[in-house]
Amino acid sequence: MFLAIKEMLHEKLRYSLIVALIFLVSYLLIILTGLATGLANLNKAAINEWDASSIVLNSDSEGRLQQSFLSQDEVASLPNNGTRISQYSTLVKSENGLKENAQLVALDSKSFIFKKLKITSGSKNIRNNAGVVSDKFKSDGFKIGDYLLVANSSLRIKITGFTPRATLSALPVVYISPDTIQSLNKGVTNAVVFKNTLNNSKIPKGTNQLSIGSFINKLPGYSAQQLTFNFMIGFLYIIILIVISIFLYILTVQKLPNLGVLKAQGVSTQYLVLSTLFQSFIMSVIGVIIAIILGEITAITLPSEVPIVIDKSNIIVTGIGIIIMSLLGALIPIRQIAKVDPYKIIGG
Amino acid sequence: MSNLIFDSVTKIFGEGSSKYVALENINFEAESGQLILVVGPSGSGKTTFLTIAGGLQTPTNGDVKINDSTINSLSKKQQTKLRLEKIGFVLQSYNLVPFLTVEEQFKFVDKLKSQNLTEQKMHELLSDLGLLELLKKYPNQLSGGQKQRVAIARALYTDPDYILADEPTAALDTDRSMKVIELLRDLAHKRNKIIIVVTHDLRLKDMADKVYQIIDGKMTILEK
Repeated sequence: MFLAIKEMLHEKLRYSLIVALIFLVSYLLIILTGLATGLANLNKAAINEWDASSIVLNSDSEGRLQQSFLSQDEVASLPNNGTRISQYSTLVKSENGLKENAQLVALDSKSFIFKKLKITSGSKNIRNNAGVVSDKFKSDGFKIGDYLLVANSSLRIKITGFTPRATLSALPVVYISPDTIQSLNKGVTNAVVFKNTLNNSKIPKGTNQLSIGSFINKLPGYSAQQLTFNFMIGFLYIIILIVISIFLYILTVQKLPNLGVLKAQGVSTQYLVLSTLFQSFIMSVIGVIIAIILGEITAITLPSEVPIVIDKSNIIVTGIGIIIMSLLGALIPIRQIAKVDPYKIIGG
Repeated sequence: MSNLIFDSVTKIFGEGSSKYVALENINFEAESGQLILVVGPSGSGKTTFLTIAGGLQTPTNGDVKINDSTINSLSKKQQTKLRLEKIGFVLQSYNLVPFLTVEEQFKFVDKLKSQNLTEQKMHELLSDLGLLELLKKYPNQLSGGQKQRVAIARALYTDPDYILADEPTAALDTDRSMKVIELLRDLAHKRNKIIIVVTHDLRLKDMADKVYQIIDGKMTILEK
């Protein structure tokens, strides 16, 4: 790839401009992907932590937890290895005036979900109006031992521990016991979550089993939000393809006489094609690396309210995606190279 | 002993009313140690002759043979390989890769041929041509004469049996033109190469071993 590298080093400005364009689009792509992941996590992080396979809800709930109410008979006829979930959205305040919109989620302390909960500080205790809360409360100033005053009720929940990645529909979760939530929702069970998928014969009439993936997709606004991001991300990939294609095409057209002479001198078309592909690869790798570094710096410097997550899988998928698009973008210039007839260049 | 033979070569472009006979029944033979000039006015078919000799085009009729092997029946890939190994092109312009220094032009040939003759052969060639001080220069930093000499050195670097030169003196003044042709003649005689120069410049004909003229696609030998 001697020719490719020498050309790029000699034509620094031209190739730097293309790298700059790839970097800008890649940076935007990484930020958007990070935001899409961050927002998705805000919606579903708690559900992912449950590590469950399926959820049984009321048939008329359209897969939404808040709209689902299971009767005692329905709950009783389900296998008893599931975790009964009661959910209540509300505003909670601390005694010193801190406020937070939250999802109260009640479950049994012997359930598999509660057993799996990780604690970053404090203890895992939800008895006697105690609660294990999302560590977002901690970053917002709440401490172990603080009381959460539930709006429009006299319920006070004592914070005993903080748990990571506990957000549901973009709100932090407060895990409490079924006894504690009784005064707020009269003991209604909204859903039963299972570690495995149930045989259809075990699903009582009037209820519906959803996989956890389907349940997440039915979270309010989740699918619309992800589709919007995916559309923007897809469009940016197309922009990268077009940008690379146009720039390499222009560069190739400008050097057609040289390419013709090189062919006349015995340089194979394959060598020239590989040289162009290599240039495209190198430019996209440099652009992506700069974009990843600046993306990480951006993610660190953005306020914590911005839900951006740039993780390893995002970086790998985005990086490979951009490099593939760049290589595809080199296909049109490659066609030009293959078509160059040295006779026409020499013969004038 | 190498040779290049055109055996009743005809080249026709287009069909019907747009039919154009660029070369008509050309018989030509060149042997090692000869500098051959092919002269003629613009549009006479000189460059078509040169490109057919270099395997860049195939004749409509007839055969072109290099060392008794017919090159117009080779595949494109084989023709490309033949050009890399047996033929050196010296062209009027665009001959040097603009983003490579003089030294790198030779290293590039090394990379293509998976050889490493740079130190020995390049220095010898450039020294012979008085170009050693130009090693680190880019083509745009060279004069027309220097570029042409570097191009000749580069063409010789692969030790080809044939050098095909298309108007190598077109951009040069008389003095420099004579020097370039003298150089090519010396190379033909001392290194036993076949050197074919296509030109419209009749001032150069006294320097050649043989002079052919092409007019309207027909080739004749000129008495010197």
